[in-house]
Amino acid sequence: MIRAMPIVALTLRSLVDRRRFWLMVLLAAVPVLMAIVSSAFGGDLFSRRIFDQLIVRTVLPLIALVFGTAALGTELEDGTIVFLLTKPIRRFRIVLAKGVVAAGLTAALIVPATVLTGLVATSQHASLVSSTVAYAMAAAVGGTAYALGFLALSSFTSRALAIGLGYVLLWEGVLSGLFEGTRVFSVRQATLGLAEMLQRGDDADRTIGGLTSVVVLGVVIVGSLALATWRLSRYQLRGGD
Amino acid sequence: MPPPVAPPPPVAPPLPAPLAPPLAPPVRGPSAVVEVEHASRWYGNVVAVNDISFAVGPGVTGLLGPNGAGKTTLLHMAAGLLAPSAGEVRVGGQQTWRNPGIYRQVGLVPEREAVYPFLTGREFALVNAREHGLADPDAAAERAIDLVDLADAADRRIGTYSKGMRQRIKMAAALVHDPPVLILDEPFNGMDPRQRLHMFELLQRMADEGRTVLLSSHILEEVERIAASVLVIYAGRLAASGDFRSIRRLMTDRPHEFFVRSSDDRRLGSVLLTEQSVFGVELDPKGLLVRTSDFGRFTRRMPQVAREAGIRLLELTPTDDSLESVFAYLVGR
Repeated sequence: MIRAMPIVALTLRSLVDRRRFWLMVLLAAVPVLMAIVSSAFGGDLFSRRIFDQLIVRTVLPLIALVFGTAALGTELEDGTIVFLLTKPIRRFRIVLAKGVVAAGLTAALIVPATVLTGLVATSQHASLVSSTVAYAMAAAVGGTAYALGFLALSSFTSRALAIGLGYVLLWEGVLSGLFEGTRVFSVRQATLGLAEMLQRGDDADRTIGGLTSVVVLGVVIVGSLALATWRLSRYQLRGGD
Repeated sequence: MPPPVAPPPPVAPPLPAPLAPPLAPPVRGPSAVVEVEHASRWYGNVVAVNDISFAVGPGVTGLLGPNGAGKTTLLHMAAGLLAPSAGEVRVGGQQTWRNPGIYRQVGLVPEREAVYPFLTGREFALVNAREHGLADPDAAAERAIDLVDLADAADRRIGTYSKGMRQRIKMAAALVHDPPVLILDEPFNGMDPRQRLHMFELLQRMADEGRTVLLSSHILEEVERIAASVLVIYAGRLAASGDFRSIRRLMTDRPHEFFVRSSDDRRLGSVLLTEQSVFGVELDPKGLLVRTSDFGRFTRRMPQVAREAGIRLLELTPTDDSLESVFAYLVGR
């Protein structure tokens, strides 16, 4: 892989080679375990509420936060980015490779977690399997938006992890859902909107439309790539003296 | 009983003019590869590099200065990793800032030690070769690893490397595309004497092949050993530039100050004032502070003067022989 896609391989190794990867695997397993427990005690079906509360609100942004900020931020922090910056390549290529890995790893954990959670919770209702697929697809897209957003954030500040955590807990967790008008600025709401659009079903709880959700997620993804590229092309290495 | 000798008054005549001949002119024209023109770099109110101009061509040029002098800032500007706040920096006639194309010509060995610890040396060289888009990246990586004499450890993870080995694998990464310009920031840090010698030979070979090698160091002996020409940086300013012998002469011929303790400091002070090489004597409670404009003559005459006067010398110590004071003198010239 190093021969074919060196930056992708490099970033993947740097993210998977550390303990935090296994912590993220454990985090991704939380909704599955919750579904098993819930199912054992005759709990709720795999509804929008579970998808929102368990996955989109907590697990998804946290995994994306860790991978998104580490993919580029770690290299900016420890100075190894200099080995990529001193190559005759476009900065967009570096950002794209790192974004692909951050988003890919997020999806690689969240999609199986969503599917397994859904399968456990809907085991007695085969008709709800399509909902699970829709939720998994929406989680992959939402995870990409989150991961790229956090990657862009890490190109601006070394405190991306703390700021991102604050954003996830305060904005996405509480504030964005309080008012009708602010929901359009929420990745979480857009992910939910996309999931509902994909399953073409119950839209009683829908807060923003499917098309709006697609636009919001698209803007976040493209905007984050553009911002990170802009930032990296102006990134200045401050020396020791 | 000899008459009491009045303590000599503090003497502080104006400093003599530098005795060194004019330095060699900087490289200009087609042979100038790295050009810095009135470059400054500041961070808020702190000026890291202050209006520096120079141009260097093929051969090894040493950037000499104490820690914090602005060497890394200058090298980062030369390598296109830092924008000058004012002035221009070019490599091969092209602006370096926001111009990734220059990295076809430039190899950089950064000072920071961090290298991907999870890669083997061979993988690291290969990643660099691939990112340069070389036709045969495997062969280029092998060649670079052989150049830095790291073939035996090439399949070990970099995380297990010593500091010196990390320096060498960074060097391999910088050489992988065979660049005509090599910029190295404190490249000898952490190397043992054998590795250092090998690096000296390698850089000398690069220079003999017509490459431009610009390296920084705060150790005079390193630069003396390898660099034909020297740029002395102090407090963000270019203090001196030219061939190493001229710089060395400047450093030796600058005014020196010595602390002297003897069996009769007062009498020794008055005798020393009659010496041509001495331009100031100050009586200190513990001894004498003697200022001389001619280091060689003073050190030859001092024992003779003491012996002729029947005074026993107990201590003779230079008080300002640190590299820092040498640089400060060069800036103040």
